[in-house]
Amino acid sequence: MARVKAPVEEAEQVVGKAAPRLDAEAKVRGQARYADDLSFPGMLYGKAIRSDRPHARILRLDLSQVAAHPKVACVVTPKDIPGENVVPIIYRDMPLLANGVVRYVGEPIALLAAETREAAVEAAALAQVAYEDLPAVFDPLEATRPGAPQVAVPAAAEGGNVFNHMVIRKGDVERGFAEADVVVAGEYRVGYQEHAYLEPQGVIAVPEDSGITVYGTLQCPFYVQNAVAAVMGFPLAKVRIVQTATGGGFGGKEDVPSHLAAMAAVLAWKAGRPVKLVLPRDEDIATTSKRHPGLVRYRTGAKRDGTLTAVEVEFYYNAGAYQTLSSAVLWRGLIHAAGPYRIPHVKVDGYSVATNTVPCGAFRGFGSPQVIFAHESQMDELARELGMDPLVLRHKNALRVGDETATGQRLTESVGLPEAIGRARELSHWDELQDEVAAFNAQERFRRRGLGASTVMYGVGMGAKAPLLDKAGAYLKLEADGSVTLAVGTTEMGQGAQTVLAQIAAEGLGVPLASVQVAPVDTSRVPDSGPTVASRTTTVQGMAVLDAAEKLRARIVGAAMEMLGCPKVVPGDGRFHDARDPTRSVSLAEIARWMWAHNWDMAASGWAEARPVDWDAKTGLGNAYFVYAYACHIAEVEVDLLTGETRVTRFWAVHDSGKIVNPETARGQVIGGIAQGIGYALMEELPAEGGRILYPTFTAYHIPTAMDMPDEFVVEFVEASYSGGPFGAKGLGEVPLMASHAAVANAISAATGTRLRAYPATPERVLDLIGRGA
Amino acid sequence: MHTTGLAEIVRPRDLAEAVRLAAEGGEPLAGGTDLFVRLRKGVERPPFLVYIGDLPELRRISVGESKVEIGAAATHAEILASPAAARLPILRLALEAIASPAIRAMGTLGGNLANASPAGDGLIPLYLLGARVNLVGPDGERALAVEEFVLGPGKTALRPGEVIRSLDLPFPEGAPRAYFRKVGRRRALIIAIASLGALLWLRDGTIERARLALGSVAPTVVRPREVEQALVGRPLAPDALADLVEALSAATRPISDLRASAGYRRTVAGRLLLDLACTISPGG
Ligand SMILES: Cc1cc2nc3c(=O)[nH]c(=O)nc-3n(C[C@H](O)[C@H](O)[C@H](O)COP(=O)(O)OP(=O)(O)OC[C@H]3O[C@@H](n4cnc5c(N)ncnc54)[C@H](O)[C@@H]3O)c2cc1C
Repeated sequence: MARVKAPVEEAEQVVGKAAPRLDAEAKVRGQARYADDLSFPGMLYGKAIRSDRPHARILRLDLSQVAAHPKVACVVTPKDIPGENVVPIIYRDMPLLANGVVRYVGEPIALLAAETREAAVEAAALAQVAYEDLPAVFDPLEATRPGAPQVAVPAAAEGGNVFNHMVIRKGDVERGFAEADVVVAGEYRVGYQEHAYLEPQGVIAVPEDSGITVYGTLQCPFYVQNAVAAVMGFPLAKVRIVQTATGGGFGGKEDVPSHLAAMAAVLAWKAGRPVKLVLPRDEDIATTSKRHPGLVRYRTGAKRDGTLTAVEVEFYYNAGAYQTLSSAVLWRGLIHAAGPYRIPHVKVDGYSVATNTVPCGAFRGFGSPQVIFAHESQMDELARELGMDPLVLRHKNALRVGDETATGQRLTESVGLPEAIGRARELSHWDELQDEVAAFNAQERFRRRGLGASTVMYGVGMGAKAPLLDKAGAYLKLEADGSVTLAVGTTEMGQGAQTVLAQIAAEGLGVPLASVQVAPVDTSRVPDSGPTVASRTTTVQGMAVLDAAEKLRARIVGAAMEMLGCPKVVPGDGRFHDARDPTRSVSLAEIARWMWAHNWDMAASGWAEARPVDWDAKTGLGNAYFVYAYACHIAEVEVDLLTGETRVTRFWAVHDSGKIVNPETARGQVIGGIAQGIGYALMEELPAEGGRILYPTFTAYHIPTAMDMPDEFVVEFVEASYSGGPFGAKGLGEVPLMASHAAVANAISAATGTRLRAYPATPERVLDLIGRGA
Repeated sequence: MHTTGLAEIVRPRDLAEAVRLAAEGGEPLAGGTDLFVRLRKGVERPPFLVYIGDLPELRRISVGESKVEIGAAATHAEILASPAAARLPILRLALEAIASPAIRAMGTLGGNLANASPAGDGLIPLYLLGARVNLVGPDGERALAVEEFVLGPGKTALRPGEVIRSLDLPFPEGAPRAYFRKVGRRRALIIAIASLGALLWLRDGTIERARLALGSVAPTVVRPREVEQALVGRPLAPDALADLVEALSAATRPISDLRASAGYRRTVAGRLLLDLACTISPGG
């Protein structure tokens, strides 16, 4: 596929060029101010008193000793909540504080605020709670059986503990399997993945201006605003949310900050003083959202030549005790279950099930990595059955422009998958690589190498499940000296959004990047811009920035024409030139001064709405997302046959995310996603027993270190331009993680000669595989 | 109930004062990389901490004729940068495997030993070299062999008020080859699931003498002396050692914990012998 040129007349000056992250210097110098760095006069320290039972009725809650602690300033129980006792997310089943019944270990029951952090911890331990234990269930399959304890709040569930059951029915799978020459089937399991953001969850609620302001580490300020207003019974205009420098989110700060901010707000309001609520790491790991554990049953049929005829998928996600984001997570899993392939007959059934465990939520990939592990394992199993090269099999079935997805959506543009697969093949020297690996394996006695590939697609944006949220506002202001202030409603959490949005603004205005300053995100600055999730920021927020920039640029150009007395100007070197005589020019500073002196409107707001989507819940068919991003990853893994230890030795990653606005930050996203995928596939494990996370620490929960990164990695982009994105850009953020783990898993299966069917591939599990493969 | 408050830290002027403070119940604090983790768990509540990390008497590293003497408060990074590490390859291999640069810059060999974890990587060379532990306490000085000093997980022969002053690491005779390998879920910042260290004296590809030390597979580091004996006279090749894999596994007394099962530890500990045979090339 030919590379499409971005739809602008002149060559871009800022977009498409590497630029250092605008937030990098402050972070490297230790000057960035994170939530816990902020302090307000009279500030108290909040703490939640949490359930230590997975399912119980609260018979008595005695907080007299807590309240009597000399350093405790205030105690909050459900009756102190001024508004509603609810954390509104997609459903309204989750109370802010347990309503007589606790449904998971760690569920907040009451709150306190104390003069010091230490006193808050001490006082929380003085709470006396009498429980009557109720039968509990922790496994999603058990929770769906008749007679299982009822965990789900009935109004939020489709039936029993099944929060949601979603389907895709395309064609006729029975016919598809009848037409197949080869059918492979398998069952795949994954456990929790913890976000392990560097900065734990934290907010500070400050009663001010007759309302509440919440400062915090968060991804979705408008979600938080909505939750705080509901709990306080305030109009939205009396609730202001300000994002502090955010040390990582990965989805973990999508819904959780709503809960924390609402707790801090109620405390602050009652105490009449600012309240800081920062979670220590163990509390953060034990009580906040994680990636859903999943069980995926998969069947794939193909013709002898590799043409896919049918897939059938049934999968279960353990949602935890409340809905939070599970319905959306399940939906993304559903839409992504069949992979980036052309398949005439598809049947998918996805279930999210309530259990007495901590609610799971958003995590980079959002319900897709679990099914991707399955579909990419199936592709390799199929390739093996057919005696086909796994890259050839993938390329043969890869979606192309004009094809239909599993939901029957016809792809009309921007499908760079076949090109990505081709490029990954070239970059890795795939054929020679096979020989190298074979030679290594022939020579080594106790080591084996294996190669694994994966291909994925990613629906950019909120999709047809939540189209109302796919919008964004921006505000651009030309200051009187020619510098530019940009305000947006989506957040920087370490992914580089701020820099990329500033690049789009600079490009749109025709000014250098250095003149653009991005304001801290504050809900009072721009309209509800939806959440910072779903790899949508560059695309949707970027279009809003571009919209504002185009409006403001028209005025800048108008001013320049008046100043130069000419009918057309062109930008260059931070100046605007007379198109007929480029030696005549004015600087942006001069234009700004002139506009200011002539009382011109120097600001513009921008708006963007994603392109329409539609989807039918009965058939599961429709235009699920406005566009898709794609990737092909190849991993080489070395397995130690004596110990089962594994090491990712080399890695190739090729992505189609449309136009790449900043090649360096994009590369950073890919490398980070490779690391996170290596962690998911190889080491990250959070055992739980009786609904209790056993070891909520980084001593036990291992994420990859720099030493665990491949010795060599190659990252490249094929840019299949998208006409609905700024300069042709699509989303990237989540895709690298989605692809990487599956390539690693396939490489392990290749090296051991047995199929890895559960994550993580710890040394002990791999040794077991080796034993079975021999 | 756990407390987040930290005990007071006292700074002695010299070693004598440190010993006096320790005798009053103060717990020695060196790099704090083990101690602070334990204090934060709240199970231990020493009345106060005695910071011994910057006492010059405890930081010296001296290379003598027959031995290296390492002050108990020398950090892993300091030891690695010193001539001691160059003279004792087994020490270098083991200390390089500890944690990460940041932890190696804080953690000390004395702390590693006093912590007496069977997973302590720094203990492996001490066992292999037959190190002596020089102690100073209210009743004066004494020295113990490392195997007498470590009594069990977290248990040592330290008497109340006693402080480790230094460690004597004798140079082995001849030029043994050194091997160290630890098994874990990732390649840095990892507590060993199992580890094996070895010194092998070779002649023409045949093992003349061997010392082995296993970590993380018993309440203390283990020297499997029967296997050491059985290695003598064998060629250094996997096939020649295959029948000793079981014997090495049998020398372990592992437990199951969050990191691995006892069965995995036992299997892998034995198999590391084969890795040793492949890693150390008989020549050169
Ligand atoms: C993230 C992390 C990773 C780690 N990884 C590893 C690893 O890979 N391998 C490994 O072996 N260890 C590891 N450790 C453990 C630790 O770093 C080492 O054991 C280190 O050597 C301890 O030294 P320290 O100076 O910090 O001891 P401290 O914490 O200061 O002290 C530990 C104990 O020893 C006592 N003590 C210290 N010095 C003396 C003395 N001179 N006399 C008497 N008692 C004394 C203290 O009172 C205390 O009880 C890790 C720790 C952390 C936090």
